[in-house]
This record gives sequence, structure tokens and C-alpha cells, in this order.
Amino acid sequence: MTGALLRDWAERGTGFALPVVVALAVSAVVLLAIGENPVTTFGLILSESFGSARRIASTLSAATPLLFTAVATAVCFRAGVFNVGVEGAFLIGGLAAVVAGFSLPADLGWALVPLCLTIAAAFGAAWLWLPGWLLARLEVDEVVSTLMLNFIAAAITATLVNGIFLSRQSGNNVTPPVHAAAELSRLMPPATLHSGFLIGLAVLAAYAVWTRHTPAGVEGAWVGLNRRFARVVGVSVPRTIITAMLLSGVVAGLGGAAQGLGQLHRFSDGFSAGYGFTGMAVALLGRNRPVGMLLGAVLFGALASAGTTIQLFSDIPLDLVNIIQGIVMIFAVVELGRFRLGIKPKVQG
Amino acid sequence: MIAQILAAAVILTTPILLAAIGGLVNRQAGIVNIALEAKMLVGAYVAVVVSSVSGSWELAVLAAALAGTLIGWLLGLSITRLGANVIIAGLGLNVLAAGALGFVMAITYGSSGTLRLPDMVLLPRVLPQGVEGLPLVGLALAGLDPLTVLAWATVAALPFLLGSTRIGLWLRATGNAAPVVRAVGLRPALIQDAATAFAGFFAALAGAHLALYSIGIFNEGMTAGRGFIALAAFYFGRNLPWPTAAACLLFGFLDAAQIRMQTLGLPPGLIGALPYVMVLVILVLSQIRSQRSQR
Repeated sequence: MTGALLRDWAERGTGFALPVVVALAVSAVVLLAIGENPVTTFGLILSESFGSARRIASTLSAATPLLFTAVATAVCFRAGVFNVGVEGAFLIGGLAAVVAGFSLPADLGWALVPLCLTIAAAFGAAWLWLPGWLLARLEVDEVVSTLMLNFIAAAITATLVNGIFLSRQSGNNVTPPVHAAAELSRLMPPATLHSGFLIGLAVLAAYAVWTRHTPAGVEGAWVGLNRRFARVVGVSVPRTIITAMLLSGVVAGLGGAAQGLGQLHRFSDGFSAGYGFTGMAVALLGRNRPVGMLLGAVLFGALASAGTTIQLFSDIPLDLVNIIQGIVMIFAVVELGRFRLGIKPKVQG
Repeated sequence: MIAQILAAAVILTTPILLAAIGGLVNRQAGIVNIALEAKMLVGAYVAVVVSSVSGSWELAVLAAALAGTLIGWLLGLSITRLGANVIIAGLGLNVLAAGALGFVMAITYGSSGTLRLPDMVLLPRVLPQGVEGLPLVGLALAGLDPLTVLAWATVAALPFLLGSTRIGLWLRATGNAAPVVRAVGLRPALIQDAATAFAGFFAALAGAHLALYSIGIFNEGMTAGRGFIALAAFYFGRNLPWPTAAACLLFGFLDAAQIRMQTLGLPPGLIGALPYVMVLVILVLSQIRSQRSQR
């Protein structure tokens, strides 16, 4: 029992470490090639992201949206549903929360935040219900449908932000700010870390409980591991697929709300810096496990927050972060030797 | 005015079509190539740099195509040899390519976002400019460049290549029944590698066309999701060359008409999203039809 548990943890650890090590090795080579000392640079990244309370706060702040998008991705991936549409649901949920946050009456007071969160979750869920239903009932390929929906979400939100929700004061591409009562409180001012981070942790904890201790969560894993087996033991595959998509939409919508109400206090062009895709990298890196995803989110949060500073103080372009992210994504699904890393390859025709 | 829209549509179709050709061949071999965008971007960048350095559009196009082929081949290897998931590896490559290009651009040229180089040689026009005088199609004919001609020639040749040649048969067999291919002594992995390299070749040509048709600059956002529009096109065209080309032409027309529809008061962003909506609708309709026929 303990042996199996130990082996499981060892495998998970390798699954996490290998993509990171490969990415760091490649970036070290890249840094050497441009005449920078990789050890100094990595040291600088480390001290810039964890060196002081303020820096830790900004790392966690950057990790916040990733907690949500990673969980939203993992809910689907573990059920074998290839949902790449978290980015779109994040945008839709974020806009819904912000619009509610400035258009609902301000004297709702403390009730404003839960209302906005609920609205965002509902919009996110509705957005991903569609591809879920299409997959479950009509077998419409979810990769393509969610990919298309990402572009549609980006177009809809951009049009609305430049149209009916445009702020009259601030000019282009932004909505008015949300009411002060709708803002998520800052945890350690003046740092931007806000209570959305705590909501993210709560979502992560809820995910952990859901996957292990609820029938629906366990059935989701069965469907992901072996659809035929799940069907034979009486699990409804269509219902499991739709549930996974709905939950993914709820979490992604909440993530958008946290970003809108906690970080930006409004919706603007470039609301999501590809959080849906980085979240996918985090989910893959953490192999859909809560602890792994927490570590992954903090890692990418650290890279994002330190990357900006590094760019200011040295000649190293911020794009290095994207290089690392891309390599992590590819190597998180690569199979080397006896270790099976990541999810099963799925060849489609 | 119609002649102008037609001419613009033909040219705007070309990059989508080139990328879609690569994607459809790749998908016939059983791999959904989601990284067309990455290879277009690399192709555009290489084309701009080589065109400026060598002063030759032929060399620029060739270099771009080779770069795309190499990246496509590597992507193929990661999928067939290392068992990487097709979708994730593709999305990862998109992120990686954008990051790597941004990095290289910042280091070598100290510029971020846009690269403008001296002595650019652009794509030539194929026909003598006298054809411009022809009614309706004159402008479109005068604007034809070698890559546009290549794209449509490939579309014309593909039904034969896929349907009646040995390689085409291997390719389709690999996509439909890999075990059968293995049973007759061929290696499906090798065929998939080749198909993915082929997709890289054509996607990079698409990028080269974007960069070298008229402006001769590189911009990080210049592909603007065309790799995904191409994906939409070959889903739309169910992997068949002519229907896919028709879808590309439709999307090219939408792109060309976008600017004019804007003056009619329609929001440009929503028109830009039309191809994606159409793909969703078509996917749903075709699934409904295939489920009906099964019953």
C-alpha cells in the first residue's frame, strides 16, 4: 500500500519536474547564447518572485487567474473531454461580472460581490454548456467547437466593450469601473493581491473534494479512463460530459470575475493574457492533481511577475516566459521511457 | 467596386488556402494540426529576414518553406515517437513559436512587435499588368502572385494526388486504419511525420505570402488567427480539396468585405467572428445529418 502510494507520488513528482527541467535547460542554453549567465538570471527570477513579502504577494496575484483556469481545464481533461475553451468562458464570465458590478445598484452593499460572482459563474457555465451538449448529444468534436467559441467570445466581448458597455470617461476599449462595494478586497495593500486568490484556493479545495469524495467526481475519472467500462457499470457518459463542461464553465467564469472584480476593477481589451492556455499548461504540469496545480500556478505566476521586472533591469526579453510555457506544455504530454507523462494521445480523423 | 473586392478577396484567400491545404493533408493522415498558426508566423518572419538579406523573393520563400517543414517534422516526431497529445503539442508549439520569435526579434533587432527591414523584395506579379483593363476580373488577375497560383494549382492537383497515387492511398489509409497500414508492411508513423512536415511546408508558405505580398514587414500579430481559420476551412470542407478551397474563398471574401461592411455600421469584430460561427453551425448540421443516416 505504502509502496504503491510512494511510487504514485514519485511518478507525479517526475511528471512535474521533467517538463520544468527541460524548459529550464532550454532557457539556460538560450540565455548562454545571448551572453547572459543563466544561474544569475534564474537567481534573479527567484529573488524577484519570492524575495520579499511584497514580491510573494505579486507572484500569488499573478497565479490567481491560473488557479481558476487550471481547475477549469482539469475538470474536463480528467473526464477525457478536450475542452480548450476555458479562455472564452473566462472572458465571458469576466465581462458578466464587471457589467453586473457597475450596473447593479451600488447600495446592495455586501451582497454585490456574491451576486456578481454568481452571475459570472452562470454565464461561464452557459457558455461551455453548448459545446458540452453538442459533444454529448451529437458527438460534435469538442476541440474544434471550443476553439471556435474562444474566437467568438473574444469578438463578442471586444464588440460589447467598444459598444454598449464603453466607458464615456475613459475612451477606448474599457468599461466603467465597478462600484467600490463590488471590488474584491486587497489582502496586503498596496500589493494587488486580492481575495480572489482565496476564492481560487477554495475552488481548488472544492475540486479536490469533488474528485475524490463525490459520486459525480469519481464517475468523471472513470469516463476519462475508459468510456466503455464506465458505460458498462452504469455511468451516463453524456451526463458526465455535460457536468464536466458546466463545472468548467462555472470555475472559468469565477476566474474571470476574480480578475475583473479583484485585479482590474473593469473589463478592458486584453482582459486575459492567455490565462486559459497557461491554465492548460498548469493543469498538464500538475497532472490534474490539486497540489500539482497549485505548484504549477505559483510557478507560472512567479515567471510572469518576475519576467516583467527582469525585462526592466536586463536585456532579457519577456518572451522567455512564453518559450518556457510552450516547452512545458509540449513536454508535459510527452512519453519518455517507462514513465507515462500526461494524458493519452488521441488521434482524430 | 466589385472588381476591387474580388481582387482583395483572391489575395486574402491565399494564406488561408495555403495553410488549409497543409492542414487537410495532415488530417487525412490522421493528425489534426492545430499549430498552423505557429508555422505561418515562423514562415512570415523567415521570409522577411531572408528577403532583406538576399534580395531574392525565391530564396525568401524557399527558406520560409524549409523552416516550416523542419518545425512540422519536429512536431510530427513529438506526436508519433514521443506519444505527445496532438492538440496539446500543437497549442504548445503555438505558444513556443510566438515566444521564440519575439525573443529572437528583441535580441537581434532590438525591436518588439514589428520588424521593418531595408531592401525588401516582394512577390512579383505573374501576369503582365495590361490585364488590369479587363472588366470585373482584371484587377484580380493583375494581382496574381506565384504563391496564389501555386495554391490553386495544388488544389487542382490534390484530388488526383490523394485519390489515385500510391502515396495518396498510404496517406488516407494511415488516417483511417493505421493497423492495416502496419499490416501491409508500411510504417504509419513515418507517413504521419511526412504529412506533418508537408503541413509545415504549406503553412510557412502561407506566412511568406502574408509577409511578402504587399507590405514587406513582419508583425507578431500579422497571422491574426488565420491558422485557425484554415483549420475551420478544412473542417468546413470535410478534408476535400475543392470544398475546402471554396470555404477559404468564402472566408477571404468575408475578410475583404469586412472593411466595407464596417461603413454600413456593422461592428467589424463580429464579422471577423463569422467564419468561426459558420464552422460551428456546419459541424452541428453535418453531425445531425450523419446521425440521421445511421438510424
